Amino acid sequence: MRKQRGLSIISMLVFAFLIIPMIIIVVTSFGENPSIQFPIQGFTFDWYLNVFETNSLIQSFFLSIQISMIATILALLVGIPAAYALARYSVKGRDILKSFFLSPAMIPGVVIGYALFQFIVIQFQMPIFQGLLLGHFLISLPYIIRVVGSSLEQLDFSIEEVAWTLGCTRVRAFVKIVLPNIQAGIFASFMLAFINSFNNIPVSQFLSGPGVTALPTSLMNYIEYNYDPTVSALSVLLMVGTVILMYIIEKTLGLASIS
Amino acid sequence: MTYVDLKDIRVSYDGKNNILKDLNLSIEKGELVSLLGPSGCGKTTTLRVIAGLIEPNDGDFVVDNKNLTRVPVHKRNFGMVFQSYALFPHLTVKENVGFGLKLRKEDKTTMNPKIQDILEVTGLAELGDRYPKQLSGGQRQRVALARALVIEPKLLLLDEPLSNLDAKLRVQMRIEIKRIQRKLGITSVFVTHDQEECFSISDRVAVMNNGIIEQFDTPEEIYNRPKTEFVARFIGFENFFNLTKQGEKTYTTSEGHMLKTSQSWDDTKLVATIRPDDINILPKGTEQDTNMIPGKVVVRTFLGKSYQYEVETNVGKILVNGPKETAYSSGEELLLQFPEEKLILV
Amino acid sequence: MKNKAPFILLTPGLILLIVFMFLPLVTIIWPTFYDGKLTFGSYLSFFQDNYNLSVFWRTLRVSLIVTLICILLGVPTAYYIARTSKKWRGLMMAMSLFPLLTNSVIRSFAWINILGTNGVINDFLMKLGIITEPIKMLYTDSAIVVGSVYLFLPLMIITLVGVIENIDLEMVEAAETLGANRLTAFMKVVLPLSLPGIIVGSILVFSGTLSAYTTPQLLGGNQNMMLSTFLYQNAMTLGNWQSAGVIALIMIVTTIIVMKLFNMIAAKFDKRGGEHA
Repeated sequence: MRKQRGLSIISMLVFAFLIIPMIIIVVTSFGENPSIQFPIQGFTFDWYLNVFETNSLIQSFFLSIQISMIATILALLVGIPAAYALARYSVKGRDILKSFFLSPAMIPGVVIGYALFQFIVIQFQMPIFQGLLLGHFLISLPYIIRVVGSSLEQLDFSIEEVAWTLGCTRVRAFVKIVLPNIQAGIFASFMLAFINSFNNIPVSQFLSGPGVTALPTSLMNYIEYNYDPTVSALSVLLMVGTVILMYIIEKTLGLASIS
Repeated sequence: MTYVDLKDIRVSYDGKNNILKDLNLSIEKGELVSLLGPSGCGKTTTLRVIAGLIEPNDGDFVVDNKNLTRVPVHKRNFGMVFQSYALFPHLTVKENVGFGLKLRKEDKTTMNPKIQDILEVTGLAELGDRYPKQLSGGQRQRVALARALVIEPKLLLLDEPLSNLDAKLRVQMRIEIKRIQRKLGITSVFVTHDQEECFSISDRVAVMNNGIIEQFDTPEEIYNRPKTEFVARFIGFENFFNLTKQGEKTYTTSEGHMLKTSQSWDDTKLVATIRPDDINILPKGTEQDTNMIPGKVVVRTFLGKSYQYEVETNVGKILVNGPKETAYSSGEELLLQFPEEKLILV
Repeated sequence: MKNKAPFILLTPGLILLIVFMFLPLVTIIWPTFYDGKLTFGSYLSFFQDNYNLSVFWRTLRVSLIVTLICILLGVPTAYYIARTSKKWRGLMMAMSLFPLLTNSVIRSFAWINILGTNGVINDFLMKLGIITEPIKMLYTDSAIVVGSVYLFLPLMIITLVGVIENIDLEMVEAAETLGANRLTAFMKVVLPLSLPGIIVGSILVFSGTLSAYTTPQLLGGNQNMMLSTFLYQNAMTLGNWQSAGVIALIMIVTTIIVMKLFNMIAAKFDKRGGEHA
């Protein structure tokens, strides 16, 4: 590698820009002062304890896990067959259908959130939980269609046809032959959709009610009323979660599969 | 008169292992020199040092009495043809070829005829407005060549330029390259791992192994008189056995067979080698003489133009090609005669 | 049989999308055109109001600036990553991915800590005695820009690394043997060949900034609304559902226009010719 000094200086500054704010959060989570300060005075784990003692945050955490998990699985159940149909058959108007399935990713999140709020909560008086679930399903679907779709496009469908000639039914061939060969794509799309759903703000912001508040929304509400290192501590815990997820992805698929 | 001179070039990527070890090479003006060797021998590294894409850790690189060791690649004015051709996909054939001229701030009025001329020479006159994607492999190769030549380089460097072409096109293109090189009289360095390609195109060949040049000679000399065991093996010598010196041009095998050679070496212990084609087969019962070793056929294979025998002898297994008129069967005993002018000592 | 299978497979998704996305969108947008008769009045009056316009232009301006900064910082960084040895490249990619996978609330919160009145920068400058009064950095347009760059720069980098990795390094070397110095080779070869990646990245960054909610909410505050926070305010705080619907459609249409525009730029520059003749 030949030296390229200008380039490395810019890159190092960019990486510093990306990482330093995170480091500041980590450091401030250990400060004793009840308002956030950097550099910190003293050293304490109290704010971490406080996270676990703040009911609204803990409750939201479990709700978010639940919502993201169910929504992503629902998106997989609906999305995989659709992606398969779009890749396998020359359906009329395939491009239009595909962009329709991808459209939740193009429409701003606040618009989807607001539309669902109007439709489900105001017009049909359905519980907020269902609205939140549907919203997260909508934003997860495009990830499944895109990622699973691209692994299906790389699949040689003659292996499925061979299975048919050997006496396999269509459904069985799909389950036994197609699915195992796109499992990396399914796993990658699941991870992406789950992380994205778990972190989503715009949709969740509109669909929140007593006892039904997603974690990012709770966190945002918390920041507006209390500016103390509890937020830093929770952020650090979530970052640790992110690192663990990244490690799992790296060990199973390689990080390249989700970038 | 030396035109290009590499003096004690050493290259190491990690500071521990040397890719090139004090390599020396002198090329004369107008010559086409090939660097031949297996992958990893350092031939491409040598070419990249010449191009200026790698700066050597030690040593000097001189062209036309000017030391260019520290001159950056873009100021050297050498044309280079890459293995992948490295055509710019966003530019047309004309724009690709004109790329170097444009950087030299040449005027349109002098630039366009130059481009047109080189496109004629390389047989691309009709294709100037196409994009690389719209060309066949052979055409892309010609564009790469034209692009390197149009800047009137002091040196033309070719890095395995034919390896992406099919066999027939490869032969055609190497004749073409030779023709253009002769016509323009441009000093050229050609990297290849293909022995036939290398011999057919080069004035001189440097056979490389492990970061050093094992032999630098004309193709004929290398083919007939390899100087080291590595060179001999690389260019198709198959049979190797140990000899001990007895007197001037007289040697014995480990089993005491007397062999005479036309070469003379000072070492007392040597390795002898000979091509399967150069050994004569004599039927059993022929009177034993010098340069003869008895043996027994183990396997016979039909090669089309001849038979090949694997013969068990007391100097080891020897591969011999024999005429297809007389076929010896396996198990048969015979005598192998090694003509003294064909027996090579390494 | 052959025609029925795709139909069966696509139907559940289509129904869900139509019922829970398309219909809700119609529900919020239809009233903005119809109050007994068809009218564009809501839109005309939206664009006649100075405050609304200021929000609209701020959104476009911030999105554009953020996109430009992301290109300027992202292209060299991505080029650097793509050309580094494998070992370091993995680490750098992980460093770019990590912020992307971290919650945007956390990422905006980080900048509250840095830009706030008692934040890291003000603290530092006051301690050094360079300033005596804290500078107002939080709740400004610039804060939104910084926060959004922080949010979307990794996206630009990761998109570009993929594209630049596929540019054959020999292409740059070829340019150099022809007399181009590093900068020229970069400008004439790498940059034009990265253009598709720059376009894709720009679409992601621009539409992302345009519709982001967290950053303008936390770093912009109530004085520096963007369309997304303005929509939320109209819908949830003011209960002005008519305006919220208008803003929703404006956001959708702007996003689509911007994408078309970027793709047009791409088509104009991308003259690489057709497939193999």
